[in-house]
Amino acid sequence: MNTLAASQIELRIPRRPEFVKLARCTAWTLAAQLEFVVSQADDIRLAVGEACTNAVEHVPADACEAILIRFLVAPESLTIEVVDDGPGFDASAPPDVEDDIGGLGLVIIRSVMDDVDVVCDPKTGTCVRMTKYRDRQ
Amino acid sequence: MTNSLQIGSRRAGDDSAVLSLQGEVDVANSEQVKNAALSLLASGVKRLVVDLSRTEYIDSAGLGILVGLLKRASESGFTLLMAGAQPRVARVFEITGLNRVFVMCADVTSALQGVAS
Repeated sequence: MNTLAASQIELRIPRRPEFVKLARCTAWTLAAQLEFVVSQADDIRLAVGEACTNAVEHVPADACEAILIRFLVAPESLTIEVVDDGPGFDASAPPDVEDDIGGLGLVIIRSVMDDVDVVCDPKTGTCVRMTKYRDRQ
Repeated sequence: MTNSLQIGSRRAGDDSAVLSLQGEVDVANSEQVKNAALSLLASGVKRLVVDLSRTEYIDSAGLGILVGLLKRASESGFTLLMAGAQPRVARVFEITGLNRVFVMCADVTSALQGVAS
């Protein structure tokens, strides 16, 4: 069994565009280490990148300084929570790719991950929680 | 952190140009892509080919820039084509349905000839 099973890993990055790559590369490396197949690791990387991009692009500049990425490792799955302190967004709104890449990002996340929940709370911010199961390809 | 994208541009004939994106297109550098494309368009090209053959990653920010260029193309009367997208990048176009919005070509040569894949 992988020694990372049933562990929790946290990464906190400045809420700036140049740090999104760090988050998505960390996600890919962890997924590979957990022995997800390459296409699944690619999906996880893409989803984490989109969730962080959303936090960078759609949170008011003075609303929060950092993004927390929490990786929850289970034997059959990897759940990632991307948390910011922003006011949130309407996750049910249809995407407008010309004016709202956040909507397009959510389309991508929902397409590549197995379970996705977006929780917006004016007091605690926004949490994008997404899970990839090892046996679903 | 280092820039993970190299942007190249070249003229191809009198009225065509190729914008090459080597590396990762994301929220940190998508504005650079936009500016490079606009510089080429300002020089009067009528056909702009985006060479994706060495693009390893693209996110919604990058796609948003390309969609903006497409909108500009329909308004200004130039042709925008995508060329040589590798499977990882092609999948993002397919997920978002943008593979049906853009003209996707197998490679730059095909794109310059206006042949979609």
